[in-house]
Amino acid sequence: GETQKMNLFQSITSALDNALAKDPTAVVFGEDVAFGGVFRCTVGLRDKYGKDRVFNTPLCEQGIVGFGIGIAVTGATAIAEIQFADYIFPAFDQIVNEAAKYRYRSGDLFNCGNLTIRAPWGCVGHGALYHSQSPEAFFAHCPGIKVVIPRSPLQAKGLLLSCIEDKNPCIFFEPKILYRAAVEQVPVEPYNIPLSQAEVLQTGSDVTMVAWGTQVHVIKEVATMAQEKLGVSCEVIDLRTILPWDTETVCKSVAKTGRLLISHEAPLTGGFASEISSTVQEECFLNLEAPISRVCGYDTPFPHIFEPFYIPDKWKCYDALRKMINY
Amino acid sequence: SPEERPQFPGASAEFAERLEFIQPNVLAGIPVYRVMDRQGQVLRPSEDPQLPKEQVLKLYKTMTLLNTMDRILYESQRQGRISFYMTNYGEEGTHVGSAAALDASDLVFGQYREAGVLLYRGYPLELFMAQCYGNASDPGKGRQMPVHYGCPERHFVTISSPLATQIPQAVGAAYAIKRADANRAVVCYFGEGAASEGDAHAGFNFAATLECPIVFFCRNNGYAISTPTSEQYRGDGIAARGPGYGLLSIRVDGNDVFAVYNATREARRRAVAENQPFLIEAMTYRIPPPPPQKKKNRFPWFSARFSLIGHHSTSDDSSAYRSVDEVNYWDKQDHPISRLRHYMARRGWWDEEEEKGWRKSSRKMVLEAFERAEREPKPPPRLLFSDVYLEMPPRLRRQRAELERHLETYGEHYPLQQFQK
Repeated sequence: GETQKMNLFQSITSALDNALAKDPTAVVFGEDVAFGGVFRCTVGLRDKYGKDRVFNTPLCEQGIVGFGIGIAVTGATAIAEIQFADYIFPAFDQIVNEAAKYRYRSGDLFNCGNLTIRAPWGCVGHGALYHSQSPEAFFAHCPGIKVVIPRSPLQAKGLLLSCIEDKNPCIFFEPKILYRAAVEQVPVEPYNIPLSQAEVLQTGSDVTMVAWGTQVHVIKEVATMAQEKLGVSCEVIDLRTILPWDTETVCKSVAKTGRLLISHEAPLTGGFASEISSTVQEECFLNLEAPISRVCGYDTPFPHIFEPFYIPDKWKCYDALRKMINY
Repeated sequence: SPEERPQFPGASAEFAERLEFIQPNVLAGIPVYRVMDRQGQVLRPSEDPQLPKEQVLKLYKTMTLLNTMDRILYESQRQGRISFYMTNYGEEGTHVGSAAALDASDLVFGQYREAGVLLYRGYPLELFMAQCYGNASDPGKGRQMPVHYGCPERHFVTISSPLATQIPQAVGAAYAIKRADANRAVVCYFGEGAASEGDAHAGFNFAATLECPIVFFCRNNGYAISTPTSEQYRGDGIAARGPGYGLLSIRVDGNDVFAVYNATREARRRAVAENQPFLIEAMTYRIPPPPPQKKKNRFPWFSARFSLIGHHSTSDDSSAYRSVDEVNYWDKQDHPISRLRHYMARRGWWDEEEEKGWRKSSRKMVLEAFERAEREPKPPPRLLFSDVYLEMPPRLRRQRAELERHLETYGEHYPLQQFQK
């Protein structure tokens, strides 16, 4: 159908617009969403759909998520915004103890499947400790919720719409550094991209590389470098859904290549790469030619002035890949 | 002139030229609204809601049936038949007075000590017990500890253990209900201890700013486990916080079913008509169960540190923190059940004969339901795995298969005989 040039925040607006148009129970709320949001994701929606459907809440993340759960419990669609993923922690109890467990603990008498929580995520060049975090690992440990991270505007709209329509509470992290920087032709009409399905962006035979969000673009570049400088053929996978994650696609790839590199901005220890690594060594032990490599942020809070040294950039990924090939 | 008034967006007020701190007036606090005295005598006839006899009998029978069910299930916990229980002694008035004032379809979010609301709405004894036993009839599929009831047909959201989490949820539900239906309210129950949680603050503030048709109902029973109210707050209870958020607020005698009824009824009516939240603080007292005859506990990890008498719950011994005299006063001098009975007796609606007959028949009903619950098997172990998501993810399906295989070899070490296949 008809497409339009959209950046990431515009693709989010488009998804929300589609959702509000299609589902009369849907409401969008959070801090500062009424005027359009600090990242402009909700621009125009209040004028179009009314102040009872697109509205500000007080400054209180535990309230925002609790409130969203309550809306969803009645069967209406709740789309909550947390202003930065770094500030999601006051809502951790509501997410982990309540949203994730609503259906299970009630024996399926009640659920909050109509809840979606969106939050800007990841490094942005100058965000430091509290405007750069990637907290997906905290939520990966929580059965009952879904965690989704898009790499681009086209992916974001389809994945967000799937989250909104999915009958389980979902957390959707949006790579803020891509809000303006990433631009694509995106369909104006709604479409869905399935959850819990990783995407192989590029097939290869020597090494599998897995990432999500912004880091997918880094490993894509590393794949090109590896081909040019080392003659190494890389298979590049965007995981897309962190929970429940697509073990089949990743394991199938590593069974073929024998080598796996996983990369994320979040700190190494307990980061989601650990879960992937552990699963792959269980499923593909005899296929492995080298230890699984994780290229991640250091085990520190996210620094300000030292960001260029902190992030798992293409040179670190390339170096890790080279070591794996030479193992 | 307009320039002389403060122009700040944050508050509309006058200027003051004298330095004066507002005194939080704890000694002369918000008064306690009541309809009856402690002997069940109506003080002002105009305040008597004049409920029809059948409804008053229903209030009484619900409270006493709850009391009877509590005694039997509390005892069953002490005997190790169920793992845990929470009684409602002393607070029955807060449950039925408020439940009677609501519409049947008003959505209820509770904390864990509101079983009388569900009982008033007709939830059968069998299902209370099935949940406590976690047996195959439990609509909750045996997932939670006892007393974590839920019933969509009766608009009672399933209880969860974390305190106060239901408060902002109730507000969200009220917001959605406001958009969907012009004549439905949400009622949210919580204790005075839970009101200290951040979620309570969040809920009150959201309800007011987003104009939600919700009645917040705080059961102030004097204790949060062992913590008395003097250690829980320093202001004038919970009712005094309401105005700080912009909530219309009232404090009532929670042991006076008609006071509870009147306040809830009016709050509910106005919440829906005006789309604004109300706060009711019902003062009451948490009475510990009578001392048990025997102690045999199959679940020592709950009560290992505590001795005989369960109080906050079966894992608590409140003789460690309150005096016999205090407890006796509430049991004997100011109890919601006896106050209503006096009211009924005065009108010739109840007598000793009726009382004896009802005690016998209610106990029989409870014991029959209890015996049936005792005999029922538990649900099949595979129900451990469902409802995590709407659909079962592949990994979980594999884990379920793993357990099945494990039980094939090691099944003798598991209590399989208690469970359905």
